[in-house]
Amino acid sequence: MSAVDYTQELSVIEGRPALRSLDDLISKPLEAKPDKKFYAALSVTLTMLGIGVVCLAVSFYYGVGMWGNNNPVGWGLPIINFVFWVGIGHAGTLISAILFLLRQKWRTGIARFSEGMTIFAVMTAGLFPLIHVGRPWLAGYLLPYPNQHSLWPNFISPLLWDVFAVSTYFTVSLVFWYIGLIPDFAVLRERAATKMKKIIYSIFSLGWRFSNRHWQHYERVYLILAGFATPLVLSVHTIVSFDFAVSILPGWHSTIFPPYFVAGAVFSGFAMVQNVLIFVRKIFNYEHIITLDTLEKMNKIMLVTGSMVGYAYIMEFFIAWYSGLPTETFTFINRAFGPYMWAYWIMFSCNVIFPQLFWIRKIRRNIPIMFVIAVLVNVGMWFERFVIVITSLSRDFLPSSWAYYKPTLVDIGILLGSFGFFFTWILLFTKALPVVSISEVKASVDGSQPSHKGY
Amino acid sequence: MKDINKEKNKTFWKSLRDYYDDPEVLELKACEFKNGVTDEFKPSEMSSISRRKFVALLTASAAFAVTACSDYRDKGEIIPYNKRPEGLLPGTANYYASTCSGCASACGILIKTREGRPIKVDGNPEHPINQGKICAKGQASILNLYDPDRISDPMILKRKSSWKQIDSEIISILKDASASGKEISIVTHPVYSPTLQKLFGDFQKKFPTTQIYSYLLYDNLNKVNAWEKCYGTRELPSIKFDEAKLILSLDSDFLVNEGNFIENMRKYSTNREFVNNTNYNRLYVVEGRMSATGMMADYRLRVRPDLQFDFVMGLINELLKRGVSDFTVDPLLTAQLNKFDLTSFAKRNNIEQGKINYLINDLINFKNKAIVVAGNSLPEKVHVLVNLLNEILNAKELYDFNSTFVDFYQNNMNDFTNLVDKINSGKVGVLIHFDTNPLYHFPADLHYKDALKKVGAVITMTEEENETSAESKYVLPVNNYLESWGDYYVRKGVYSLQQPVIAPIFNTRQKEAILLNWLGDPSKYTEDIYHKYLIENFRTFVYSRKNTPVAFEAFWYAALQTGFVTIDEEADKQNNFNNLSLTSIDYSPNNNNSYAVQLSESYFIGDGRFLNNGWLLELPHPVTKVTWDNYAMISPSTAKELNVSDGDFLEVTIEKRKLKIPAMIQPGCADKFISIELGYGRTVVGEAGKNVGFNAVDLMSKNYTVSPWIFDKAELVSAGGSYDLMSTQEHHSLDDKFLKDIERRRKIIREGTVLKFQHNPKFLHEEKEELVSITNPKEYTGLKWAMAIDLNKCTACSACVASCNVENNIPVVGKDQVAKGREMQWMRIDRYYSGTPDDPIVSNQPMLCQQCDNAPCENVCPVNATNHSPDGLNQMVYNRCVGTRYCLNNCPYKVRRFNFFNFRDHFADAYYENNLTALVNNPEVTVRSRGVMEKCTFCIQRIMEARQNAIKENRELKGSDVKTACQSACPADAIVFGDMNDPNSAVSKYRNHDLAYYVLEDLNIKPNVTYIAKLRNTHSEEIL
Repeated sequence: MSAVDYTQELSVIEGRPALRSLDDLISKPLEAKPDKKFYAALSVTLTMLGIGVVCLAVSFYYGVGMWGNNNPVGWGLPIINFVFWVGIGHAGTLISAILFLLRQKWRTGIARFSEGMTIFAVMTAGLFPLIHVGRPWLAGYLLPYPNQHSLWPNFISPLLWDVFAVSTYFTVSLVFWYIGLIPDFAVLRERAATKMKKIIYSIFSLGWRFSNRHWQHYERVYLILAGFATPLVLSVHTIVSFDFAVSILPGWHSTIFPPYFVAGAVFSGFAMVQNVLIFVRKIFNYEHIITLDTLEKMNKIMLVTGSMVGYAYIMEFFIAWYSGLPTETFTFINRAFGPYMWAYWIMFSCNVIFPQLFWIRKIRRNIPIMFVIAVLVNVGMWFERFVIVITSLSRDFLPSSWAYYKPTLVDIGILLGSFGFFFTWILLFTKALPVVSISEVKASVDGSQPSHKGY
Repeated sequence: MKDINKEKNKTFWKSLRDYYDDPEVLELKACEFKNGVTDEFKPSEMSSISRRKFVALLTASAAFAVTACSDYRDKGEIIPYNKRPEGLLPGTANYYASTCSGCASACGILIKTREGRPIKVDGNPEHPINQGKICAKGQASILNLYDPDRISDPMILKRKSSWKQIDSEIISILKDASASGKEISIVTHPVYSPTLQKLFGDFQKKFPTTQIYSYLLYDNLNKVNAWEKCYGTRELPSIKFDEAKLILSLDSDFLVNEGNFIENMRKYSTNREFVNNTNYNRLYVVEGRMSATGMMADYRLRVRPDLQFDFVMGLINELLKRGVSDFTVDPLLTAQLNKFDLTSFAKRNNIEQGKINYLINDLINFKNKAIVVAGNSLPEKVHVLVNLLNEILNAKELYDFNSTFVDFYQNNMNDFTNLVDKINSGKVGVLIHFDTNPLYHFPADLHYKDALKKVGAVITMTEEENETSAESKYVLPVNNYLESWGDYYVRKGVYSLQQPVIAPIFNTRQKEAILLNWLGDPSKYTEDIYHKYLIENFRTFVYSRKNTPVAFEAFWYAALQTGFVTIDEEADKQNNFNNLSLTSIDYSPNNNNSYAVQLSESYFIGDGRFLNNGWLLELPHPVTKVTWDNYAMISPSTAKELNVSDGDFLEVTIEKRKLKIPAMIQPGCADKFISIELGYGRTVVGEAGKNVGFNAVDLMSKNYTVSPWIFDKAELVSAGGSYDLMSTQEHHSLDDKFLKDIERRRKIIREGTVLKFQHNPKFLHEEKEELVSITNPKEYTGLKWAMAIDLNKCTACSACVASCNVENNIPVVGKDQVAKGREMQWMRIDRYYSGTPDDPIVSNQPMLCQQCDNAPCENVCPVNATNHSPDGLNQMVYNRCVGTRYCLNNCPYKVRRFNFFNFRDHFADAYYENNLTALVNNPEVTVRSRGVMEKCTFCIQRIMEARQNAIKENRELKGSDVKTACQSACPADAIVFGDMNDPNSAVSKYRNHDLAYYVLEDLNIKPNVTYIAKLRNTHSEEIL
């Protein structure tokens, strides 16, 4: 009999570092001057952003016609990008709220960063509904405000639900994130070397004095907000999926969409978090905080959600056949074997086949391979939205109006710009805020909590 | 007493002193302010601005500030009528009767004008021939009036000049020419106008060396010449298609593009009637290309046009063998007949023998009620034989000699060869192109262009620059037909008048007035010289023959108001068939194994004259749905043989004449054959027509073997390279099992046969399942709009689409946008093929907003920009639309159109966004800007106008008060519109008919457009 005690939880922070060293390590990027690598990275993301801005300016000047959208395909890349980025924004709150409620300690090292990504991804996503409309200067019509026409938006339109769902999600995520940051702001305030920094951190730390009472209130609020954010994680993508599910279009009109979209969102969100964290832990020497175990756990979640997505793909086919609806059946056969077959099989292989490699422990723990698989997952998830939006629209009910959709360079420029926008925020984030929660990490180190005789 | 008074007057007191009327209190009460308080208030020292004045100034300056800051984008001047013109009420349309000059049919039209500008052309409902309908060309011709490429001033050697200068120069040239005995040649199109004929006569009197030459690119000379040979007269009778029970069309597009097809379509469609009564005919079409008439055929036989002669001979042979007729055929012919055996012909050309048998039997069974019509491009000898065939079938009763076509003098190619010879030998002094474009129309081997350089003075009258005007010394801009006076006499007994509805927009004159002016004193030119001349001719030509007690002036105005005058004329008799006509025919059978080429008339751009009309260029071809181009129509198996696919270039060679043109694979086309439409590929043309299509005139020659438009010894090779042909409808391969007959499987197209319908009238609804609504349907109790479209009658002629374009200010988007699938037409005609690629069955379906009760577009719009009206309309509020395009996605019929750009400014750098073209817009319909969704609204502007009138007249609005633009344009009356809640309305009768169905009924979105299933009159109960 081996003497392994399975009841003993493994520490999520490796090597029992001194608490003071954690403070130093985490606040180091904020205190050091940005190096060349940072500027190089920033110039890349800003270039991408610049391309996006130019493409957007062209679209605003000439009209939506600069994109590939046509008559049957009313929605093109902007909506695909919207759903993609909302999906990316899913992992953060899931990690910080749901895993918090489930007492998953391993979230400690990654929660802050993934929450930040959530905020930036939702910001990126939020741009698309605004820019994709034909007359963006009138997008305010979507908000319910009292006006002299006593005209209200159409409350039964899923697009309107989107406005509420995404803005609520963004607000709650932002507040939740900020609350979590307060003790860290206080730490930074204490360490601040310049007056300016001290003032700024003082303001943001809201007078935090590490008192027992503060901690007590803080824990309570954090718990409540986690409870508050949890349903939002599920609701946002559910409502985004309603954009499609509420329509009557074959391939969109489907009850499987809400769970399938949420699973897909978590799937892609984890892939993106994993991708970025692999860099972060290396660059900032956080390997013992964001451990290989953590990455492995994330890979496991990807395996689960990827399988759920795969199940949904297959179930869609089954239901299309089982429903006996010829148009529905046609749409799915057309997806897999029609003119957009290439997109479908990119999606299917990236989302269903490659993540299955995570069944193998060696692959789960091999950083280069897991990185590649997660990149593929993101590619696949982008194509999933492409397949859903484009194949269903391009061949719908009347064969007379079928047409092939091709994105233009402007479309692709805007997609590129969205990545530039997202990663610019990420880069600025790494230099402005602690990318790992100082207080939570310190609390999770072995021996940091009081114990009685080892229990 | 005092106390009592006090009691009465004073009920309240503030203090005891008050109660006792203390004088101090009384004084205080009298003055508002205490003494001394107002001492500083000295009005004399105050500003002279009173409070009122201050408020007034404040208000005024605020108002000025507000108005001065508002920068209205539309700064157009608005000038009120200080003196309102008589009969013109701002906001109310005026209608004028006139005549269309687009082709030889000279249809009566009714022009709608608003505030003095014409905005819509429709058929004149009272006109006896076209009865309120005109074709797509006529509908869209209004755009030519406002075409920014019109020439604005007369030009000498491409320099702007003045009429005065031009008149004096030309008159002296004319005088010189006539004095020196040199010919003055006038090249014109056939003259349909009696007054113009007289004018030409007067011109010849004044300048005796004048010669008139007339031509058309695509004419019916072969038919007329054949008729003359057979019956000794050049006046063709019209055909009573309404009485024919069997029609055999030999390459004749009589329903959509040949003869007076508006009249033909109307008459034909009365025999495709299953709702109001049951009339049906049977149509056989024998043709090589796929024509719009071919799409309508109950049986279609694929025969190349160069083989039509053999086919007709075989047919006559077969019919005579069966002893059909007591008509004695000349032995000369019978001797030849045995060379032509129909059975072996069918075998050679892959024609189903079954169809031939049906044809023969039907011709025999329907004798006396069967007619054969031959296409204009077929050679004369085929027409002679067709006349004979009709004699054999005893089709005499179906000729209408009360309404014969007036013959217009027209020259043949030999006359033009002579003209060129005369020019080359220096015998021609002046060459006048009377609104013609011979440099584009004449075959190159006539060498007309070289000849032109040898004429001293070439004068071209035209509306826009063309190939001929570019080579002319004098270019005289002429009026559009909407700015001109005129008369037309194209059918026996009907004299139509043309009147201007707008003063000439540019410094132009009408072409007749230019000539007339040269006859008199040019300094006395007034705009109405031709008007007066016309009235005088009207007096002699019409009024004197009318023998009416009405005074001339009243008669003239009445004629002008109705737009035409009917004249009683004696009907022609049918002469006996002249057997001599059969002698000069070459009876050798055609053993040609090489490729054949046919040049056919374009559906929408005529002989090229409408090539600068964006609306017409963008109108999808009735068969191929291609826009902005012509192409070589080729059968799928020939394409395979040549190894070309859609858009690949072919090189066509006919005796060294070459043309490189993209191929367009057309199911149902005959093998070893291509068909090309004429009128495209012009080199000197306005902005819209630039680089549009390929010029097939290059293949024509002054010496031809079969007919000017049919060539039997052509070489065809794949030329390499390809070209983008833009079709508005994806063209799926017919042998793809996955897609085959998908429109039938999805119940988009539902059809039956007459036999099936007779056997079981309710066959369409046998498998109908009850649809369950999960919500309570909204009740519509009052008037509710609905439309019904009878697919039995629709010929895909597209007049409805053109009419909708004009009525609803539909922009032209250009070829590049059509390529992206962004055409803006609110109405389209969907075409589906079923059957085999070689011999497809074609179904057409006009598709427009179905105004669904449970409209899926409405609930998804986040801003309520599209919503439902109480009378059942699916409304579109442009101002509210932000352009999410969700409605477009959710519309199963895909009838919504999105303004991806500001299309008026997008096409050819704002070609259609200018002050002139803006005048064509219907002021009742919003001009949509970019980023806005739009769609058909059942012509809501017409509904609102009718409602206003009903309110004004204090009566209920009736369904029959409104006619939509497409409905009023449909020559076949296939579109019915009205109140579905009125059980007596036509539309509710259609809705409740056994053949009525909705497209995508299963979705339960409750569309309000009903389709009447097409019944094919075949010998079977099954369609396929």
